[in-house]
Amino acid sequence: MTSTSASVVGQAPAAPPPPRRTVWRRWGPALPFVGPAFFLLAVWYVYPTIATVIRSLQSNAGGKFVWFDNYKQIFTDDILLTAIKNNAIWVAIVPAAVTAFGLMFAVLTERVGWSIAFKFAVFAPLAISLFAAGVIWRATMYQKDPSVGSINHVIGVIRDTFTESGVLTRANPSTKDVTGSTNQGFTLDKDLKAGDVALLGLTAIPPDEIPETAKQAEDPQAKQGGITGVVWRDFKPGGGKPGEVESEESGIPGVTVDLLDANGKKVQSTSTEANGTFTFAELGTSAYRVRVDKNTFAAPYGGVEWLGPKLITPAMIIAYIWTAAGFAMVVIAAGLAAIPRDVLEAARTDGASELQVFRRVTVPLLAPVLSVVFITQVIGVLKIFDIVLAIAPGSTRNDATVIAFEMWRKSFSGQNQFGVGAALAVFLFVLVIPVLILNIRRFRRENVGA
Amino acid sequence: MMRHRSVLFALLTAFLLVAASACGGGDEGGGGGGTGTTASNVSGSVTILADWTGPEGESFKAVLDGFKQKYPNVDAKYRPSTDIAQDLSTAVEGGNPPDLAAVPNPGLTADYQKRGALKPIDFAKSTVDDNFSEDWVNLGTIDGKLYGVFFKGANKSTVWYNVHSFQDAGVDAPSTWDDLTQAAQTIKASGVPAWSFGASDGWTLTDLFENLYARQAGADKYRQLTTHDIPWTDASVKETLQTMADVFKDGDNIAGGIDGALQTDFPTSVSNVFAAQPKAAMIAEGDFVPGVVAGQTPAKPQTDYDFFDFPEIGDTGKIVVGGGNEVIMFKDSPAAQALVQYLASPEAGEIWAKRGGFSSPNKNVGEDAYTDELTKRSATALANADNFLFDMSDLSPAAFGSDAEFSILQDFFKNQDVDGTAQKLEAAAAKAYK
Amino acid sequence: MTAAAAEAQASPAVRKESFASRAGRFAAKTPVHIFLIIVGLLWLVPTFGLFMISIFDPALSATEGWWQVFSDPSTATLENYRAMFQNDAIVHAIYITAIVTAGATALPVIIAALAGYAFAWIDFPGRDVLFIVMIGLLALPIQMALIPIFRLYNTLNLYDTIIGLILFHTAFAMPFSIFLLRNFFVGIPKELMEAARIDGASELRIFFRLILPLGLPAVASLAIFQVLFVWNDLLVGLTLAQDNQPIAATISLQLRQFGSNLDVIAPAAFFSLVIPLSIFLAFQRYFVQGLLAGSVK
Repeated sequence: MTSTSASVVGQAPAAPPPPRRTVWRRWGPALPFVGPAFFLLAVWYVYPTIATVIRSLQSNAGGKFVWFDNYKQIFTDDILLTAIKNNAIWVAIVPAAVTAFGLMFAVLTERVGWSIAFKFAVFAPLAISLFAAGVIWRATMYQKDPSVGSINHVIGVIRDTFTESGVLTRANPSTKDVTGSTNQGFTLDKDLKAGDVALLGLTAIPPDEIPETAKQAEDPQAKQGGITGVVWRDFKPGGGKPGEVESEESGIPGVTVDLLDANGKKVQSTSTEANGTFTFAELGTSAYRVRVDKNTFAAPYGGVEWLGPKLITPAMIIAYIWTAAGFAMVVIAAGLAAIPRDVLEAARTDGASELQVFRRVTVPLLAPVLSVVFITQVIGVLKIFDIVLAIAPGSTRNDATVIAFEMWRKSFSGQNQFGVGAALAVFLFVLVIPVLILNIRRFRRENVGA
Repeated sequence: MMRHRSVLFALLTAFLLVAASACGGGDEGGGGGGTGTTASNVSGSVTILADWTGPEGESFKAVLDGFKQKYPNVDAKYRPSTDIAQDLSTAVEGGNPPDLAAVPNPGLTADYQKRGALKPIDFAKSTVDDNFSEDWVNLGTIDGKLYGVFFKGANKSTVWYNVHSFQDAGVDAPSTWDDLTQAAQTIKASGVPAWSFGASDGWTLTDLFENLYARQAGADKYRQLTTHDIPWTDASVKETLQTMADVFKDGDNIAGGIDGALQTDFPTSVSNVFAAQPKAAMIAEGDFVPGVVAGQTPAKPQTDYDFFDFPEIGDTGKIVVGGGNEVIMFKDSPAAQALVQYLASPEAGEIWAKRGGFSSPNKNVGEDAYTDELTKRSATALANADNFLFDMSDLSPAAFGSDAEFSILQDFFKNQDVDGTAQKLEAAAAKAYK
Repeated sequence: MTAAAAEAQASPAVRKESFASRAGRFAAKTPVHIFLIIVGLLWLVPTFGLFMISIFDPALSATEGWWQVFSDPSTATLENYRAMFQNDAIVHAIYITAIVTAGATALPVIIAALAGYAFAWIDFPGRDVLFIVMIGLLALPIQMALIPIFRLYNTLNLYDTIIGLILFHTAFAMPFSIFLLRNFFVGIPKELMEAARIDGASELRIFFRLILPLGLPAVASLAIFQVLFVWNDLLVGLTLAQDNQPIAATISLQLRQFGSNLDVIAPAAFFSLVIPLSIFLAFQRYFVQGLLAGSVK
């Protein structure tokens, strides 16, 4: 009764168009199979789609028809153009990446006996709702602060094992005659001769960074033939007098102080005592300057700004691939399981290598399944929303935005611009069709002859 | 045969459903109920939608229990929501709004009133006049009719600080803005940044703008700017933007620096101040900060955290910028009217005030209703302000005050470009206030 | 007996050979093993982090990383879970979610299998066009469908009903399910079906006795995804239900308005993992079962 149709994404039979009566009857065998599905689709899908199209032609408040005004807004709004650009990036990268990961994992785990544990690990993210997954990545992985964000924490730990730690992390000079920064060191802008005294006061030092060995800072005693000075935390509650060593102000021990000659070259170095004082002895009559060496300061690791405007899209893409690869793996693994073993064995006994078997036999046989994964991902990525909502902080929303997110913003976040939101939904829909046809054609071509 | 009939039947049903739903849709508002019914005569059901979830939701349910005791024949249902703008949009657009809703932005109220979705609550006018100051009554009035009454208020003119950090730096709670900037420098020298900003939540920046602007430009200009009667490129706006730029320029004095603060959300910005190892000494935000502190840090009131009123600038008097939840009505009925009257009475506010975490704009809710010292101070400041100004961004059309203004101020936070920002704000406002 | 004797004679040779070749294959596979172990561990990190956060002191989760639990075990606590379970609303929600999930998994599987088979093997007019249009429907964002359906449900009194939720999820599963199953069924060798038809079986019989069992890996995958999606659904439950909300919606209403809320989200998310993952473990052997191996005579 049924015609012998090809086993690919159908080829219509070459017969001339049949008369009406026969067409109706040809629906007969299919009806009990597709009937319930079509009913569900008609009510829950087609009706809302039509309602949305109609809504997109109406004003935001409803009731009036403004025809294509809402659509015009899509192409003139900067933010929406960014959204379209971002979606293009997602579509270009993600479906291919997800399918590739899934294929790789499915194939590799097929050969390994204990694959269930690995599959579990890759699959678990799927079981977490997309929104919760986004929250987890944002709150625990991507935070800039290395004490909270896992990725930056690991980078920081690695970095710390290679760099030396300094006494302090930050400081500012307390008086105008001390200049510089933590990157260059702090220099006292005063020419000093033997017998002079140097005061190097620093502020903005958290009290818990002062080494435990520190003692109350002391005014340095002038020494004949040498230069003495003190490096201390020039702050007491209320501020105190900058530039003067007062009670409740502690010296900073272990600071490297450089002695610079008239050309700025370092001639000597020494380290401060527990009370912050230091001494350079037996100096001649030339003029010198003193400087707190920059190695005193080890800036704490700032952390990569994953959630900043530059990296936010890659950050979201990584989190999404983390959740979606499991989906691809499961579907492709099922497809692999359905391939008859003897076909593969036959190819192997014919002398083909593993790679050739994979490329020439497995992949073409998997083509229908791969197309499901790929196309579903393309559509899913065009619609991507939950991840953007969960991961992008308010300040980078405009950089991270995608079409579905703008649609939500316009319709549901209180702006009540339902007309524009509906137009965006229709726009998304229209975008999908050509992508769809393109991809189905591609898979159909690869599958011919299977 | 059989199959054909089943298909026809399915198609027919589908079409009927489509037709029925297309005709349905419209919001049937019932006729206005009579007023002055006695409590036990009123029956029916009323649903109120609000964004009080978690522990706040429990407190509001206690308020509804008080209502049920007074009106035993009314079934009052509470519908919590995590995104009230979204849920209301869907419900109104879908043709089935709740009877009442408590919305945090009057701008939203104005939107719905324009669309004809709201019913006025003039039946409660005398109760409202008796219990609220003129400022609050005016806020709920549109085109001469009363549409909303404010049940819960928020005092946003508070600055919360870490007591120990202030002690270490040796500074006292400042009372003028100049004192505050000086204190900020002293705090910075003591080794901890003075400011914590949750700039990823743009509304924290609008709050700062509004507190400064109200004090620098005065209440009249504030109101004019709210209705967009003066442009955002006005010199007074630029003056305030400049003051903000002066704070933002000193990135070392902000927890996380400018870039870090831009990724910090509001709850984290609170933790930054009150964690065991504080990353900043103070945060200029409203009286809802203690709720976050209690949930996320070990800090205790007064010993670890305290607040001072947002400092004065010039001599514009005691100004309080604040917010509130406005109860508005979508569907009229005797039960809904009864609940509105109840929520407008001091009784309702007192129930929640006793549980903590609540400020009532109702001037008849006595000081003694508040069990917590800090809440008492902030709540009484709110209800008794000489000049109460509602949060400007909450009064503006949502496209501006809940969206464009945020992103423009976030950019400003980063680049501190006063003129450019003023122009962008004006352009966005012009579009939204049409 | 002859056969058994022959087998006994053959087995020592077979055993020796397979051991040698197995050892050879294992050595070649070691890089694969290592690769999989590393990737697997890395992949687990965020999930592991989720678990650690769920037992982490809520007062600290905003400012400290969850690895602090290792350096300072006193920060671990079960308080987050206790708070979650003490809530009556949650128990009711779990019950609702279970029913909705079961219904919204069984129903789509059957309906989509029927339709998928038709698209694969029954030639009916307009099949190709309908197929593409149907996949295209996947593009409809669920938010846009919610409002018209919300309106529809109010008219039909389906609002806040379990059947309403089930039907919505079933309908929305259709495009993907039919797509997946159709592409699976397309790979079934035509000869099998021809043979059955020659034997006189009707279309429906072929479907139930031949196609469905062969398509079990696909059906199993579909079932697990549907379970996941419906179980974790938030938006539909929030919009189309009120007193009968499923678990994700109920938990979302526990979130404090201001707060990092990690202490509510993390235990809930981790607990929600358990059910779908258990189903995955139970079903997973269907993914690897080579059902077609040896079936072609």
